[in-house]
Amino acid sequence: MNFLAIGTEIAIALLMLIVLAADLLLPKDVSHRRIGVISMVGLAVILVYTFGQYHIGASPTFFGGLFFVDNYALFFKQLFIIGMLFTILFSLEYTEKLLRYRGEFYVLLLSALLGMCVMASANDFITTFVGLELMTVSFYILVGARMTSEDSSEAAVKYLIVGAASTAVMLYGMSLVYGAAGSLVFSEVCRNIHLFYAAGLAGVIMVIIGFFFKLSVIPFHMWAPDVYQGAPTPVTALLAMGSKAAGIAVFMRILYTAFPILGNFWLPLLAGFAALCMIGGNIMAIRQTDIKRMLAYSSIAQAGYMMVGMAAADLAGMKAVLFYAMLYVFANLGAFAVLTVIDTERGGTSRRDITGLAQAAPLLAAVMTISLLSMAGIPPTAGFAGKLYLFTAVVERGYLWLAFVGFVMSMISVYYYLMVAKAMYRDLTPEEAEYAAPVYVPLTVRAAVLVSVFATLGLGICPEWLASLTNAAVQTFMR
Amino acid sequence: MISFVEMMHLALHVGLPHFLLLSAVLFAIGLFGLFTKKGIIAVLMCIELMLNAVNINFIAFNHYMPATDLSGQLMALFSIAVAAAEVAIGLALAFRIYHDHHTVNVDDLNHLKG
Amino acid sequence: MFSDFMLTHAWLIPLLPALAFLWIGFFTRLHKKRSAAIAITMSSLSFLLACGVTWAVLSGPITMETPFVQKTLWFEIGSVRIFMGSLVDPLTAMMLMVVTMVSLLVQIYSVGYMAHDPGAGRFFAFLSLFAASMLGLVIAVNFAQLYVFWELVGLCSYLLIGFYYDKVSAREAAKKAFITTRIGDFGLLLGILLLQITFGTLDFQELKVLVPAYIWISGTSFMTIVGLLLFIGPIGKSGQFPLHVWLPDAMEGPTPVSALIHAATMVVAGVYLVGRAYFIFSALPVVMNVIAWLGGFTAFFAATIALTQRPIKRILAYSTISQLGYMMLALGVGSLTASMFHLMTHAFFKALLFLCAGAVIEAMQDEADIFKMGGLRKKMPVTFAAMTIGVLAISGLPPFAGFFSKDEILGAAAAVSTPLYLLGTLTAFLTAFYMARLLFVTFFGEASPGCPATETNAFMRWPLIVLAVLSCVSGLWGHFAGFGEWVYFGAAEETGIDWVIAGTSTVLSLVAIGLAYEIYVAKRWSAYEISQRFGVLYTLSFNKYYIDEFYTLLRRTFCDGLGRILYWIDLHVIDGIVNGLARLVGVLSTIFTFLQNGQVQRYVAVFYGGVIVLVAYSLFYAYKVLTLLGGAF
Repeated sequence: MNFLAIGTEIAIALLMLIVLAADLLLPKDVSHRRIGVISMVGLAVILVYTFGQYHIGASPTFFGGLFFVDNYALFFKQLFIIGMLFTILFSLEYTEKLLRYRGEFYVLLLSALLGMCVMASANDFITTFVGLELMTVSFYILVGARMTSEDSSEAAVKYLIVGAASTAVMLYGMSLVYGAAGSLVFSEVCRNIHLFYAAGLAGVIMVIIGFFFKLSVIPFHMWAPDVYQGAPTPVTALLAMGSKAAGIAVFMRILYTAFPILGNFWLPLLAGFAALCMIGGNIMAIRQTDIKRMLAYSSIAQAGYMMVGMAAADLAGMKAVLFYAMLYVFANLGAFAVLTVIDTERGGTSRRDITGLAQAAPLLAAVMTISLLSMAGIPPTAGFAGKLYLFTAVVERGYLWLAFVGFVMSMISVYYYLMVAKAMYRDLTPEEAEYAAPVYVPLTVRAAVLVSVFATLGLGICPEWLASLTNAAVQTFMR
Repeated sequence: MISFVEMMHLALHVGLPHFLLLSAVLFAIGLFGLFTKKGIIAVLMCIELMLNAVNINFIAFNHYMPATDLSGQLMALFSIAVAAAEVAIGLALAFRIYHDHHTVNVDDLNHLKG
Repeated sequence: MFSDFMLTHAWLIPLLPALAFLWIGFFTRLHKKRSAAIAITMSSLSFLLACGVTWAVLSGPITMETPFVQKTLWFEIGSVRIFMGSLVDPLTAMMLMVVTMVSLLVQIYSVGYMAHDPGAGRFFAFLSLFAASMLGLVIAVNFAQLYVFWELVGLCSYLLIGFYYDKVSAREAAKKAFITTRIGDFGLLLGILLLQITFGTLDFQELKVLVPAYIWISGTSFMTIVGLLLFIGPIGKSGQFPLHVWLPDAMEGPTPVSALIHAATMVVAGVYLVGRAYFIFSALPVVMNVIAWLGGFTAFFAATIALTQRPIKRILAYSTISQLGYMMLALGVGSLTASMFHLMTHAFFKALLFLCAGAVIEAMQDEADIFKMGGLRKKMPVTFAAMTIGVLAISGLPPFAGFFSKDEILGAAAAVSTPLYLLGTLTAFLTAFYMARLLFVTFFGEASPGCPATETNAFMRWPLIVLAVLSCVSGLWGHFAGFGEWVYFGAAEETGIDWVIAGTSTVLSLVAIGLAYEIYVAKRWSAYEISQRFGVLYTLSFNKYYIDEFYTLLRRTFCDGLGRILYWIDLHVIDGIVNGLARLVGVLSTIFTFLQNGQVQRYVAVFYGGVIVLVAYSLFYAYKVLTLLGGAF
């Protein structure tokens, strides 16, 4: 047993226990920031450790090959850890002011992270399922973590019901795949020709639907807007970047290692649903007035963009998806850090709450604008480079129409992103000025947003820094 | 046309198709309940029904498979554990909802929409 | 050791001002002093680095043929790999020195000039970005990097020319500069794309090998088109006829900006581009002829306009166009050395002239018309001395800087084409005349009674003194230290003075200055009568040959006419489509709102609707597979 291979997961689990114990030892009425700091320091150490795990030769495995730590998994683990680290950083103030069970909040964040990391390494359906459910179950609680808000509990119940229904479908699919292929290990499933039977194909499609739910692909997206809007803002951020990226990590691995022989079956589906997501997500985002809800629809569209790269089904497409997933994390960090501050200070995230932000907090307004422009794919932000990679990858595989749809919908998306910018930068009317509370920007938030902006712009100006990492990540895939 | 003997054989000798049919029917019943029941508790029970239907599938496949691995049963175990966790959270949330809305009717949960 | 360190860290030179821009932009925009301190510190650091790089180039084995190249992969799309990095050869080193020094001096000057402007923080941020873009352009290793910084330079010029954005004329001038140079950039972009398509690379070092081979194999016809397209960029950026119209208007920006634009950044970018890609241009005789004649014509043409203008900065602006014409002329007749030498000396004396003009305008409380000044000699002695040196330098009198560089250009022109040489010499005469006119009218004569002018403050004075010294010695230094053995194309050039050519132009300049003295100081002849006698010519020159009006007319007939047609199309076709789309969005969102009604059971129903459709699809697919295999499976 090569325990070093699951070092990351063990460390996260230990960190979780430490945080739990620290919460028990800490009196109830004192500040819980130090717990957040403990988890951040721990995560930073783990992040540095994962850099040391990149390798050139054979990838370390665990559980007889069921748990696979290749560079691809490492890349995604780093993505999750970075996302979690900075989310904790910018939400320290929010947690302190608006949540009742603060220690448990951190513990659950870490357990969700553990689930994501397990998913990234999963090499069979059991591990996938365990990781997925660990993450999802943690998120059910996290979504409902804001005890004082009725929206929070409503969102949690909706997420739970739709999520459990989707779990049932995915499990049913897994059982059918198991029945057809006789195994739950990806590398054995892929060899079995019985997948072409009706039961096998139905199972495959049900597994795919399970991931479509995670990626909130239309028409399996209905939960997303409500849950994004109702959840505490930091949790929404994690749903948008962590949960989605984890879904993509394991979805890609399943498609490319377990079902490669069915390529002709799922590739057109993927392309079609990608187009559906890009069109539907962007169109529905236009009429939203709540920024979190708008970002929910926009995240549906973003999932569509990433699926464009997956539909390319080659190394270039994979690299593009990895690149995009990472830059999407940074763009989301910026946007949600701003929304978290707004939510804390003004008690909402509607467009009214951000009006005139440029005067109250110019830094936040600038960060929000840059992050949204990155999501829209405007140069010189990273989003432009990411979309360029995605679309060139897919065009080289012959899906010209898909790139065209993506391009047109990106242009449309600029409209609603800039509506937010316009609201932030316009002058206030007198009655609005009365309503607008001053915005206090804590130092932690400043640090987080600066990191996100520098990453967004830096990767836009010199994408090769990240591209070389994604190169390393895909090199060891499928070996 | 199959003969009477064959029909009796099918009816009396329980095989893989029977289990699959049972599981599909259970899943469908659960699904029907999921669509029609209004109380959160009942909805949770229906979800539990669906998850258990899947467990039957796994164990049946595992039993009738030529190879001697136990991964199907293992999966069923994990699935039971996860289902228990989900229901636990569901019940806790039902308390929250009752506390907030004084009802557990899912139709009343429509503040978030659009 | 030290020189290696300098060369490998040359990339820091553009980065430091860029950091200053970010820092000021994010944090200290509202603190005037702090912003200035940051900008100047960063500029000084990059000036020191540039000195180190120059030292390394001078002392090391680096020549025009064996540059120092350092690059890193920038991005990779498919098979296209674009690098960025730094290329250091003597040409780059010279440009780095000039740009960092002038921008540093301009920034120091701006501390005094912008002391009472509330937007000073923003101003220093933009100045830093401007310098950073130009430096990035200078050290570019390939056309892609060069183009990015080229556009950044254009953007900065837009921001700075329109710095007083509450003034309509400033906004208009900024737009004019941006749009006019964009026309040129488009040609440049097409040229770059053609290069990428033809050669599969944009790297200067690789193209240097590939282009001559290509021309040797398939002739010059295709490359001539590429060369002409590439040259359109410099026409716009360096204010060559007919795209020069933006440059005189660019004086709407604060004066330090004009100094920066005219001397070290922006306009010389075009000349530098031609110099950097000289291996392409020099192999194409047709393009070389175009460059030479366009440069010569622009030089003469702009000089004739400058003769009659009244605002001080406008005269200087036309003199810049004229001098840029000289540089292009030198490039066109095949002397990279002469062109770059003149670029360097011009940068110093033109920055000097503009900063002096700024001092004068500030002292006169924003009065720009030279005929409303006069007698400033006594009130602003330092400025007067500096301005005199600048005027003598640009007029090409020995031993000032302009003498040596202009002489080299004229010598190079004489060796190739007599008409071009005559044009150049005539321009030199005109230049001396209008510069002397500017000097005499502004500083001699009697001061008007209520003249508020006093000497400038120290921040503005010291840069003037430094630049004046440079304008005196840079020509001598370049001549005797062997500039031609340092920056050259092909074979190193001997720097010798052709005494016939030099003597002729010196005598002509002296005559012109004397003439100006007689007219404007001694008033032997009335300027008014002369202008009457040359009636038509005077009117033409005063109105800048009606080029702006011509463009307006062109725009009115073609653009507005086309605009009207397009407007109709827009109104009836495009709007129809857009409104249709909006209606579609409305219908779609009604459907989605109906589905997204907040009822979780409806969500589940939609979810399972999707499941059923997809499972049906998979069963259909399985059926198709079965029929395809005919049951053999």
